[in-house]
Amino acid sequence: MNDFLKAVSISKTYLNENKKLKVLEDISFSIGKGEILCILGASGCGKSTLLRVIGGFERIDKGEILICGNKVLKPSADMVMIFQDYNQLFPWMTVLENVLFPLKVNKIGASAMQRIEISIEYLKLVGLEDFKNYYPHQLSGGMKQRAAIARGLALKPSVLLMDEPFGSLDAITRSNLQNELLDIWRKTEVTIVFVTHDINEALALGDNIIVMDKTPGRIKERIKNFQERPRNRRSDEFLDLYEKIYSMLDVQI
Amino acid sequence: MMKNKKLFWSFLIILFWQVISMSGTFSSLILPSPYMVIKAFLESIMRGELLNETMYSLIIILEGLFIGTFFAFLLALASIRYKIMEDFVETLIAIAHPLPGIALLPLIILWFGTGRTSVVFVIIHSALWPILLNTTTGFRTIPRIFTDVGHNLGVRGIHLISTIYIPASMPFIISGLRIGWARAWRALISAEMIFGAVGGKGGLGWYIFKQRVFMDTAGMFAALIIIVIIGMLVEDLLFERLEANTIEKWGMTVK
Repeated sequence: MNDFLKAVSISKTYLNENKKLKVLEDISFSIGKGEILCILGASGCGKSTLLRVIGGFERIDKGEILICGNKVLKPSADMVMIFQDYNQLFPWMTVLENVLFPLKVNKIGASAMQRIEISIEYLKLVGLEDFKNYYPHQLSGGMKQRAAIARGLALKPSVLLMDEPFGSLDAITRSNLQNELLDIWRKTEVTIVFVTHDINEALALGDNIIVMDKTPGRIKERIKNFQERPRNRRSDEFLDLYEKIYSMLDVQI
Repeated sequence: MMKNKKLFWSFLIILFWQVISMSGTFSSLILPSPYMVIKAFLESIMRGELLNETMYSLIIILEGLFIGTFFAFLLALASIRYKIMEDFVETLIAIAHPLPGIALLPLIILWFGTGRTSVVFVIIHSALWPILLNTTTGFRTIPRIFTDVGHNLGVRGIHLISTIYIPASMPFIISGLRIGWARAWRALISAEMIFGAVGGKGGLGWYIFKQRVFMDTAGMFAALIIIVIIGMLVEDLLFERLEANTIEKWGMTVK
């Protein structure tokens, strides 16, 4: 069960003006179903590239990604990516239509009525049912990200890939959304791979934390986060782990 | 607010025009008064003549725009689907886009004569390239996140085009249609007028040309009024409505 999602020695090189740039080197990990893995690192460490690789968006030179033992070759609705960019909702569809659209495409639900019911159920889950007829440009950044999460979850994917989804939000909204995400995670039991540069965020969310090194992107350290949930962000355990990770990140003073 | 301002200024211009013509500085053969123009306008409409010519021009431009838009979309789709078509279409646009339809007219007359086919051909040429250019630019500059999300959610093939590429390129497509319409409308009137000179008949351009032969200056102005009104209706009603119901509603305009 611990091999639900597995990366086997992933390496990736970008070719830029005939210069080879190694972005990922020999990355391996495996996580169990229903776990949250946080990938933590500074900007440019290749953590977003790694997430795109896991989702099948990028080709790799070496290695493979396995989900339930099956190789991931291209993006699929079974692993939904939530991007950092607020504009991932389709602006020409209302919030409800955005959630409905992938259900229609993947022929989930027996009838149009049932699809609407499913969509509304997930909009309720993220607290947006009152905004279902709004267009994305009428929503705040946090609401847009919640709608994107509802759209992804309605497909009942086995993995949710999240690329710093709360990265451009203010601190208060960010903490609220982290707690909401944990709530949703408890209810749906979805496996989450969460990329972030925020140590607090990784500590609040992750069961496992991978700390990345820069150029080439390598795994520097794997940390098991055994803290009980709900986690107290002021507890000694939390702060100790924070110190430990902080010292790993080569912060220059 | 904007509409009222336009009405106000139009009224002032007409008033000024009336004053000038009443002063008797110009002969009414050169500059008929607004009153005479409106009289000629109404008479011509009553006779059915002006309306007939207007309908003739409108039907022909719709036909040309329809065919032109159809081929523009076909070529735009081909160019995002196949790399080799992208290069071909790009070259085609580079050659054809700068060519004014009217410059082609002598050749077209040589090939198709001075009939309806030639006018339709000029309209297609005037509309096709700007629509194609804008649509392909729109397709090419789609934010990557939309196609990423589309792939992720399982949208494939022709669905990707109809549900993501086209709505995401809507600001470009609408501006292409606008330019295409404006160029086609100008080309149409000019072509009809030139055909009038070589004996062809039909349409507003031809009507203006014919009224000149009869020294019916007021009638010429009456046809010009129709041209202005149609231009305004298409611009203010059709395109503004289209924008209000799409890109403005979706928050996709830069305003």
